[in-house]
Amino acid sequence: MSAALELRDIGVRFGAFDAVDGVSLTVNAGEVVGLIGPNGAGKTVTFNVVTGLQPATRGRVLLGGTDVTRAPAHARTAMGLARTFQVVQLFAGMTVLENLMVAAHRHTHAGVLVDALRLPGRRRALATAEERGRAVLSFLELPHLADVEVTTLPVGQARLVELARALCLTPSVLLLDEPASGLDPAETADFVALLAHVRATLGCAMLLVEHDMGVVMPLCDHVVVMDFGTVLASGPPLEVREDAKVRAAYLGEEVA
Amino acid sequence: MKLTFSLALGGIPIGAMYALQALGIVIVYKTSKVFNFASGAIGLACAYFGSTLHAHGIPSLPAVLLTIVLGVAIGVLMELTVRPVKGALTGTIVTLGWLLVLTGGVGWVYGTQVATNEPVRLLSDKQAFDVGGVLVYSYQQLGLLVIAGALAAGLALFFRLSGLGTATRAVSEAPDAARLLGIQVDRVNLVAWGLGGAVSGLAGVLVAPLLGGLNTTALIILTVQALAAALVGRLSSLPMTFAGGVVLGMLQPVVHRALASFSGLKGTDELTAFIVVLVALLFMRRSGRKDVVSGGLVPVPIRALPTGRLAALSFAGVALGALLLPILLGDRGNLSRYNLTQVAVWGTATLSLVLLVGVVGQVSVCQAVFMGCGAYGTGIALAHGLPFLLAGIAGALLAAAVAALVGLPAIRLEPLELAIATLSLSFTADRFLYSWPPLASDDGKREVVRPGFAGVDPGHVAAGNRAYAWLALGVFIVACFAVASLRRGRTGAALTALRSSEPATAAMGFSVVSVKLRGFAASGFLAGLAGALYAGLVQGASGAPFDFTRSITLLAYAVIIGVGSVPGAFFGGLVLTLTTVDFGATSDVANGQVVSLTTLFTGALLIGVLTLSPDGVAGAVGRLRLRRGPATSPAEVFA
Ligand SMILES: Nc1ncnc2c1ncn2[C@@H]1O[C@H](COP(=O)(O)OP(=O)(O)OP(=O)(O)O)[C@@H](O)[C@H]1O
Ligand SMILES: [Mg+2]
Repeated sequence: MSAALELRDIGVRFGAFDAVDGVSLTVNAGEVVGLIGPNGAGKTVTFNVVTGLQPATRGRVLLGGTDVTRAPAHARTAMGLARTFQVVQLFAGMTVLENLMVAAHRHTHAGVLVDALRLPGRRRALATAEERGRAVLSFLELPHLADVEVTTLPVGQARLVELARALCLTPSVLLLDEPASGLDPAETADFVALLAHVRATLGCAMLLVEHDMGVVMPLCDHVVVMDFGTVLASGPPLEVREDAKVRAAYLGEEVA
Repeated sequence: MKLTFSLALGGIPIGAMYALQALGIVIVYKTSKVFNFASGAIGLACAYFGSTLHAHGIPSLPAVLLTIVLGVAIGVLMELTVRPVKGALTGTIVTLGWLLVLTGGVGWVYGTQVATNEPVRLLSDKQAFDVGGVLVYSYQQLGLLVIAGALAAGLALFFRLSGLGTATRAVSEAPDAARLLGIQVDRVNLVAWGLGGAVSGLAGVLVAPLLGGLNTTALIILTVQALAAALVGRLSSLPMTFAGGVVLGMLQPVVHRALASFSGLKGTDELTAFIVVLVALLFMRRSGRKDVVSGGLVPVPIRALPTGRLAALSFAGVALGALLLPILLGDRGNLSRYNLTQVAVWGTATLSLVLLVGVVGQVSVCQAVFMGCGAYGTGIALAHGLPFLLAGIAGALLAAAVAALVGLPAIRLEPLELAIATLSLSFTADRFLYSWPPLASDDGKREVVRPGFAGVDPGHVAAGNRAYAWLALGVFIVACFAVASLRRGRTGAALTALRSSEPATAAMGFSVVSVKLRGFAASGFLAGLAGALYAGLVQGASGAPFDFTRSITLLAYAVIIGVGSVPGAFFGGLVLTLTTVDFGATSDVANGQVVSLTTLFTGALLIGVLTLSPDGVAGAVGRLRLRRGPATSPAEVFA
């Protein structure tokens, strides 16, 4: 069986600077992998390469065994990839439900003509998308937010909505870029429980970038540590945590 | 070979004039990041002014110097109107308002026909020298070349030595920080605009004799050449800009000769400039786009467009207008039916902009070109024997295809750059497209006969028939519903999302390219429909109704009324119709003056509205009524 997501020797170069330099990692179906490392290590750039927003200078990306290195971002989404962003990228000027519906439209088909002339497919597409959006909202126990305009949401809820929007895509691989940053300790604890719930119910594989070890340790089956664009160490969370190199480069200040 | 060489050398003096015009644009852009689209129009005003002074007995040199004063004055006035406006794109649209004001003003004072006035000449056009038939210059050409070269060198030196260059860079990069450092931002801007106005004005005065007299359109269309040169100079380097103008001047006669074998091809000069503009824009893109994802760049919040009840409202508006119009516009007979059809035509055209600016979030200064494609396309389809209705749709499809083609570079361009490209296309269409043999016939016209009107003298088509008026209204109403439905459907969701965050939209499974192109095509289709209806109304397709002024006017009223509003399209149609009414002017001259006054008024209104209420009249009304939120303002769309 092929892995849900596999990176082989990914490199990204900006000018003379290697933001990512030879990163390989594997996320198996249903597995949660943590991607950690100090600021500027290249984690977000790696995410952008996986989702197709940033072309890799070298290396290959495989999604469920299929090489998608050259595939555009939207094609990868269609293959079951979903992500959240480090800087929340909700669609301003839309309500929470409308945001979710944009994602849910991955499951609908209605072209310009169908939309403009209100041909039969239009109502079905909108109904399907709305149904999907509402279902995800109630799954995450957020139905009360449906009609709230997203720019008015506090950070904690905005991050939840971004997660909800990603889930509307019915992903098989979910990438989360610092989903708990900006949350207070209580919200973080809830978030960890929620992710565990998502994982148990939906069973999608996850790649999780997070600085908060309180999130990484309980959730991840496997942790990959990056520094200066390269993989410093990888292994089960407890082992990585004890790794001397990692402690020196990264956890040093944080765990001590 | 020798001929090519000689042709190229012969193009240098006029190229130097393009360069001068371009320098005016670059000087302003360097400081304010605003594109002065009115550069050619300043030149127009100054050229006429100089000619008048000369006619009143003032010698050439003082006359030319006085026109520079006028150029400075216009530049300063422009700065004062651009200053309160936020964002470079909105500021640039203010300069479009000035283009209209200056064109209209000159037309009003002097008449729009090619003037009999002789331009003021500094030098005689007697032959200065002849080097083996390869290099033949008149004193005039030689003199202009020297003047332009000296001016460019002087300006470059001035920018380097005076400290204005540094201050300019500080002001354009970080106005707030510059302010804190004690740089008087407003004064630096004022100086740059004054200087830019002077250079643009002088360029117009000097080039007029080379264009064979005072020709309004020719002087304004010069803007496309100036844009090309300015872009070659990457909008910052004065020497490169100068070189760009000169090279363009050398290129044009060569291209013209190469294409001369295709008989009937006109406007190759503008075509050359347009291609240079496109290539320069696409190459100028910074390698590697700003990464919204990793940087801490917060996406600009764009407010929801007001939706719901809009279609119903617009229906009510149309019904009301249908009742009011005959009263507003004279008798209940043919004239009102003709005007009613016009309201539907221009309303549909405005709607195409509501879709493009308000929903897709892009600015087009070439909407009338899409209309023209629709009109000519209809004529072509009719000639192939299609019935009128199908021919109209075929015309609209042609317009949609052209719009998608225009949208293609838009995928890589910022809205301001797209404005440059589309304005250049408008100028080029006037000179090239509307006389391009496959599209138009020899005289730039094409027959369009609507059902039941075969053999009716085009002079009497104002006697519109009832069925046609209803057809046009029907198309407009369906278009209103279609835009409202589109906006609230799947594609609308993707388009709105796209304006907020392209990476996130792509991550939701939408192809950014295809969504944008569909938006452009849909907008082009609507504009094409409007063009087809117009062609049927006046029994023929021609370029004149779809010239660059019309494109700018369309955008102007879409902005004035508020780009986010579907019912606004009806009022857009109403106002645009009023701008075409000749108010019973009896002679061509009087009619020309009415048109000029209307243009002047439109420009002034655009400047006023953008300065006072950036989201247009609809926004102002919305704020008064304290609705759920203001309509999308151009300032936000363009941010
Ligand atoms: N488009 C770009 N052009 C040039 N450099 C870039 C670009 N995007 C990212 N970088 C650089 O690449 C490096 C890695 O950035 P990245 O955002 O991946 O870090 P990160 O590991 O996500 O850090 P953080 O924990 O702060 O989010 C940084 O030094 C960043 O400045
Ligand atoms: Mg990051």
